[in-house]
Amino acid sequence: MIRIGLVLVLGLSFLTTRAQNRYIARQGQVSFYSYTSVENIEATNNQAFSILDADEATLAISMLMKAFVFEKALMEEHFNESYIESDIYPKSSFEGEIQDFDASLSTEQTRRIQGKITIHGVTKELEIKAKFAREEDLLILTGDFQLRVADFEVKIPPIVAGNIAETIQVKFRLQYQMYEQ
Amino acid sequence: MNSRALFIFGFCCLIGFSLQAQSLLEEVEEGLEESKTYTQATFKTTVLALGQSVQVRKEGSMEFSWNSRFWNLPQRTQGFVADRMSSRFGLNYAFSDRFTAGFGITTFDRYKDGYFKYQIARQGVQGKGWPFTVTLFQNAGLRRSENQSVYIGDSFSEKLSFTSQMLIARKFTRNFSMQLSPTFIFRNKSSAPVDPAQHFALGVGGRYRVGGHVSITLEWYYLSNPLNSIQTYDSFALGVNWELTDLMLQFILTNTPFMAEDGYITQTRNNFNTRDGNLYFGFNATLVLHLKKQKPKQ
Repeated sequence: MIRIGLVLVLGLSFLTTRAQNRYIARQGQVSFYSYTSVENIEATNNQAFSILDADEATLAISMLMKAFVFEKALMEEHFNESYIESDIYPKSSFEGEIQDFDASLSTEQTRRIQGKITIHGVTKELEIKAKFAREEDLLILTGDFQLRVADFEVKIPPIVAGNIAETIQVKFRLQYQMYEQ
Repeated sequence: MNSRALFIFGFCCLIGFSLQAQSLLEEVEEGLEESKTYTQATFKTTVLALGQSVQVRKEGSMEFSWNSRFWNLPQRTQGFVADRMSSRFGLNYAFSDRFTAGFGITTFDRYKDGYFKYQIARQGVQGKGWPFTVTLFQNAGLRRSENQSVYIGDSFSEKLSFTSQMLIARKFTRNFSMQLSPTFIFRNKSSAPVDPAQHFALGVGGRYRVGGHVSITLEWYYLSNPLNSIQTYDSFALGVNWELTDLMLQFILTNTPFMAEDGYITQTRNNFNTRDGNLYFGFNATLVLHLKKQKPKQ
């Protein structure tokens, strides 16, 4: 009986250890920018949620499209209703593997993240160059990348084609904390 | 005994693996906190076609509106394009996300109106929260007296009328919204003694989105106790909305030249048909300026 108990403890500890080296980021910041000669548009989402698994060197991010805040309220309404259709596709997400990631490094490291991004129900391969920095207990991930609007089947009427850039700049800043269960 | 221990260990490992089988992305999606949200854009514009919609603008938005009606007289004149034209120039400002106040002046009958709207309930999403959006509307209208013999001698207060509405709307699907507008109109003095000073009316309106930025609207006002001194009809409007940028356009066909509540609900003299003098073509152009920039929530 004792042996069974021992094995059980061993098994359970095996269970818990695999979830230990995890980082979690709430209220991650994701912004996008569209610069054209006609109009500059930017929107920020401060509600992105992410988990980073240091052992597996993987991370996943998800956010609600409705949480993007535009300077102009009407633009936000158009964005949700007519462009990104957040009633049908409420979330956007990214899941990827970090190349040569070393969680123990206390210095800044720039790594490639290879993964898949899903926006407006369309999934695309994406490679991001991102910076990992340590700030006390926090692991801070920052970076930027570009997306082509046309890749995500977002319909833009010809009359406003000049107002919206073909390539959108995306910036992100995620502040990870050690995940405690 | 050993096989049993092995079984338990294996079982635990299995749970471990199955936990891992749930991808990181699935875990993140589950953990994403859904903040409380409300249905957006039950209608895109604050005016449905003739009357007000439940929609109010976000705090700090200023709306300029130019509503026009064009019509021909039964005896055509040499008028350019159309025999007659009327415009209402309006301005409103959203003091908060719920409260909007505005005023307007109509060129044809020089009717002046001021109003406020207050959104008391907002429809939730996915069955959560309120099933309807409810907005209260109150206006005061001042009719002019010059050149209209029946009104000459009326004091300021006798020229006033008040319209109260409770606008109730629901966005049924992403493309279809409907609104009911119970209305009460009070006039300080009627133009003829036989006319009621109080009217009860019910507006029914809807919007159907046919494309990304184009929608069709219908609106009809039923008046339960019409004027007695003149023959009036219920007002009706059919519109096409083009909702794209800061400038939103509505093109409408209607049977009333009036743009203020007191007018189109109680004083519409023609029924809806295509004869000259009865059919009014109009547009509502609305320009939204954002005087206050929205900041991301911290």
